[in-house]
Amino acid sequence: MSTTRREFLTVAAAGGIGVTLGAPVFLRRAAAAEPIKVGLPSALSGSNAQYGTQAKRACELFGKEINAKGGVLGRPFQFIYEDTGGDPATAVRKAQKLVEKDDVKFLTGTVLSSEALAVSAKCPEWKVILMSTINGAGQLTTTAWHRYFFRVNTSGPMGARAVSLYLAESPMKRFFALGSDYAWGRDSVGSFDKQITAAKKDVVGKDYPPVGTKDFASYIAKIRQSRAEACYMALPGQDATIFFKQASQFGLTREVKLVTEILELENLKAVGEAMTGTIGSSRYPFTVDTPKNRDFVKRFHAMHGIYPDMFDGETYEGLEWLAQTIQKAGTADDVEKVIEAWEDSTYEGLEGPFFMRKCDHQAVQPGFVVEAAKDPKYPHLIPKILATYPGDKVTPKCRTEDFA
Amino acid sequence: MSSSILVEQLFDAAALAALLFLVSVGLSLVFGILRVVNFAHGIFYMLGAYVGSTLVRLTGSFWLTLILAPPIVGLIGAALESSTLRFIYRRPPIYQLLLTFGLAMILEESVRVLYGVTARSVDPPVFFQGTVELAGAVYPRYRLFLIAAGSAVGLALWLFLTRTRAGLLVRAVAQNSEMVGCLGGDVRRVRTAVFGLACALAAFGGACAAPMTTAYLGMGINVIVDAFVVVVVGGLGSIVGSMVGSLIVGAAQTWGGFYVSEAAMAIMYAVMAAILLFRPWGLFGEEE
Repeated sequence: MSTTRREFLTVAAAGGIGVTLGAPVFLRRAAAAEPIKVGLPSALSGSNAQYGTQAKRACELFGKEINAKGGVLGRPFQFIYEDTGGDPATAVRKAQKLVEKDDVKFLTGTVLSSEALAVSAKCPEWKVILMSTINGAGQLTTTAWHRYFFRVNTSGPMGARAVSLYLAESPMKRFFALGSDYAWGRDSVGSFDKQITAAKKDVVGKDYPPVGTKDFASYIAKIRQSRAEACYMALPGQDATIFFKQASQFGLTREVKLVTEILELENLKAVGEAMTGTIGSSRYPFTVDTPKNRDFVKRFHAMHGIYPDMFDGETYEGLEWLAQTIQKAGTADDVEKVIEAWEDSTYEGLEGPFFMRKCDHQAVQPGFVVEAAKDPKYPHLIPKILATYPGDKVTPKCRTEDFA
Repeated sequence: MSSSILVEQLFDAAALAALLFLVSVGLSLVFGILRVVNFAHGIFYMLGAYVGSTLVRLTGSFWLTLILAPPIVGLIGAALESSTLRFIYRRPPIYQLLLTFGLAMILEESVRVLYGVTARSVDPPVFFQGTVELAGAVYPRYRLFLIAAGSAVGLALWLFLTRTRAGLLVRAVAQNSEMVGCLGGDVRRVRTAVFGLACALAAFGGACAAPMTTAYLGMGINVIVDAFVVVVVGGLGSIVGSMVGSLIVGAAQTWGGFYVSEAAMAIMYAVMAAILLFRPWGLFGEEE
């Protein structure tokens, strides 16, 4: 069934090109060539669907743009989406399907770090590249690292680092840390704890609510009881939305400054004005003022009718860098060559320069601290950039979570 | 300080229990009367929240929303019962599982397509915004409303089932549906109505929950697991059981979250296991 449809599409596409007499030569070649397939085992349903959707939006924009230019090495990009529902076991199963049935050489779009860790563990055996553009957990580039894994995005420890650098200079002394009870949340809290203690400040309490918590009342009571001046939090999208909402209902935001590891548009849109003044790190704030980003935001908005969120930007960057690497390697089939071409390469990202270091495949890139602010030009709160840190200040030493 | 925390936690547990009750009581009713384990039940809670968010935007009134959302979702539920579930009551339970699970997925996906992935925020009515002082604790007014609403619905439902003729018919179907049929009662209509009522209750819960948790994808799946624990603890088919079960689960989650947050989930299941050891049919269930 699917083969017949594919054949039909190929024939139809080839036929279409044939009639279009004026079509340039490279276009004809692109349509005839085997596509470069990228597989996304991604959460497209459930409470993490917002992240999978971001990855998908970025793919749609990137795919349209690169294929209009004739693709890479004369081959168009093709994206295959598989819904994992945010479950690690399903993610592995779907990734396996993508690798074995669809024959993809590149996986990306894994949403939860727990999913990424599970999929990443299988990549050396499958001999495919997993490119993270979303996953934060430090382990991915430390203890669980192998050469088939690349992380284009800012990691959790890097976000915690940017926030810590910023808070080290603030007058606040007492902090509470709240991290979701899985790889990323625990990792980020650990990182934050280490660095804020190094800055001679106190972490007066730590807690790890389970993923999917819908009532944060007891945590809010605990934060209040600790008499912390600020609360650092690493909660995934929907959990963060609920926490912000309830923190404001309990009046906690009047007493305690909220600091989040990822300040996302999804939260800003869902929570609304109650989030004004919240600070946090951002892996990609769409407000960053570079010519490349200004143009990207415009194109993104034209296609999707909204402003790009963190992982829209990070995934787009990953894809662009991957395309650049495939071009450089001269192949999209020989994974080993692609890995070599990627290592120690540079890329001009939306928010500044990127460097893929060879030792742990973590992309060195600028770090941002932003604040949720009102701006009459936008229909929702926006991340206003408070501080930008160069890549070498926010990226940990190779294969560790320690900073120089 | 510590006494105010205790007071606050009591209210937290009660507010959480109120929401859980609104969902689990329907689940329990549907099982008691239709003998169906409805996996799609949580989705009606989610539908209530989403439909509620739309109604608040359209009408501008939270109260009107609370009145309108439940019957709308209840009608959807009744329509689904009479078009799908009705035909498999005589089949083995695995069919119900497959069907309700499938319905859950279809409905959740429909919501995603219609509303997108961004959570919908709903503001509580102005009177219930802000906080009050309660024995030294600062407490959100809206949660007090939740406790009141949950209790009122519980009382109304109990009165309906024990004091009205329609309630009598419902109880009769639960006890012996064939006999009711022989005596000229319309069992099919009772089943459809009960299913619709259960969905409406869940939707009321969802609409009430939206200001606290926002309306989001996955909230149905999220709540159904807790609701199943409530029903198992309280006993299938019992309203009082749902109420007590909700309080137990609400308390386990609140205190668990505070004192041993890393095991908060485990505590809920430990409590459930302990109760089942001594009363396998639940606290208020009937031994079969």
